[in-house]
Amino acid sequence: MGIVFTRLFSSLFGNKEARILVLGLDNAGKTTILYRLQMGEVVSTIPTIGFNVETVQYNNIKFQVWDLGGQTSIRPYWRCYFPNTQAIIYVVDSSDTDRLMVAKEEFHAILEEDELKGAVVLIFANKQDLPGALDDAAVTESLELHKIKNRQWAIFKTSAIKGEGLFEGLDWLSNTLKAGGG
Amino acid sequence: MFSLFYGLWKYMFSKTEFHVLILGIDKAGKTTLLEKLKSQYSNLEGLPPDRIVPTVGLNIGRIEVSNTKLVFWDLGGQPGLRSIWEKYYEEAHAVVYVVDAACPSRFEDSKSALEKVLRHEDLQGAPLLILANKQDLAQAVTAEEVGRYLDLKKLDERVYTFQAVSGYDGTGIKESVDWLVDSMERSKRTETLRARAGIANIGTA
Repeated sequence: MGIVFTRLFSSLFGNKEARILVLGLDNAGKTTILYRLQMGEVVSTIPTIGFNVETVQYNNIKFQVWDLGGQTSIRPYWRCYFPNTQAIIYVVDSSDTDRLMVAKEEFHAILEEDELKGAVVLIFANKQDLPGALDDAAVTESLELHKIKNRQWAIFKTSAIKGEGLFEGLDWLSNTLKAGGG
Repeated sequence: MFSLFYGLWKYMFSKTEFHVLILGIDKAGKTTLLEKLKSQYSNLEGLPPDRIVPTVGLNIGRIEVSNTKLVFWDLGGQPGLRSIWEKYYEEAHAVVYVVDAACPSRFEDSKSALEKVLRHEDLQGAPLLILANKQDLAQAVTAEEVGRYLDLKKLDERVYTFQAVSGYDGTGIKESVDWLVDSMERSKRTETLRARAGIANIGTA
């Protein structure tokens, strides 16, 4: 009963909470993005084994952001975090063209997951500061985003190092979540 | 065996679901229109126009009108993003093409993008609704004038119409939806898509 009131209260007074998973191959820049969002600065990171979780308050939404390690051996554990997820941020290293194929396959495997059926999808075409980085249209093409037809998605060019594009992405997320998207 | 009958039953009695593509060049007002549609036809609150940012991806709107379900796919219209439009053609029952009627300097761009859409064979026979949007603005031209500017040829084998709308205040939206539902229900393309989906269902059952 208490929960009902809490829900009612928070839905009346705006402060929504959303659980967001940040996924992507290793070295895509997930952890850098997480801390850029949370602290507004670039931290030096080491490959994540396990996860980092932080809360980011933005546009009246409390984003609980889970950054999961992306190495091949630990990707199978992503699914443990799938239940109750409202959105996925899929991060791609736009300059790592050799591995875009793998990034695509992992991405579409995630979309197949039953527990993520209702989640909206935000793609960060990251590392735009690097030479040879593909732009949003090219990443869209390589990830075959057009195959998504039953949920909302958006792609943003980002540079976690320079802090570009990240909050535009969060703007989109908060608008979409508030509008009850999915 | 059961699933075969179930498939058949579903095929015959389930509400038809129509897919409608919303296309048009950037700044035409596609997403604002979609949000207005959502707020007029469902109890969901649409986003207010000032919160809408350029779409880089896909927005979806689902509405129900007299026993038919409409699913709207609103795709980003910036030049680099137009290449993904055609990936959605095959499954679309109809196309809504949005033109900013208050911005004559971009009619040329709008016209050539539309011509490219209409040439694509995956959209053969799909009903086309061309919207002269932003009628709330004083400088907006009429639907007829937009039609004259676009000067479309070879539309004879396609059902189409022009409609003056405003995604901002909702003018013309009901007429547009009514026209869409009516022409999709009567369109040959709907038959074809339905048959294809039916075959696919029975095939997997």
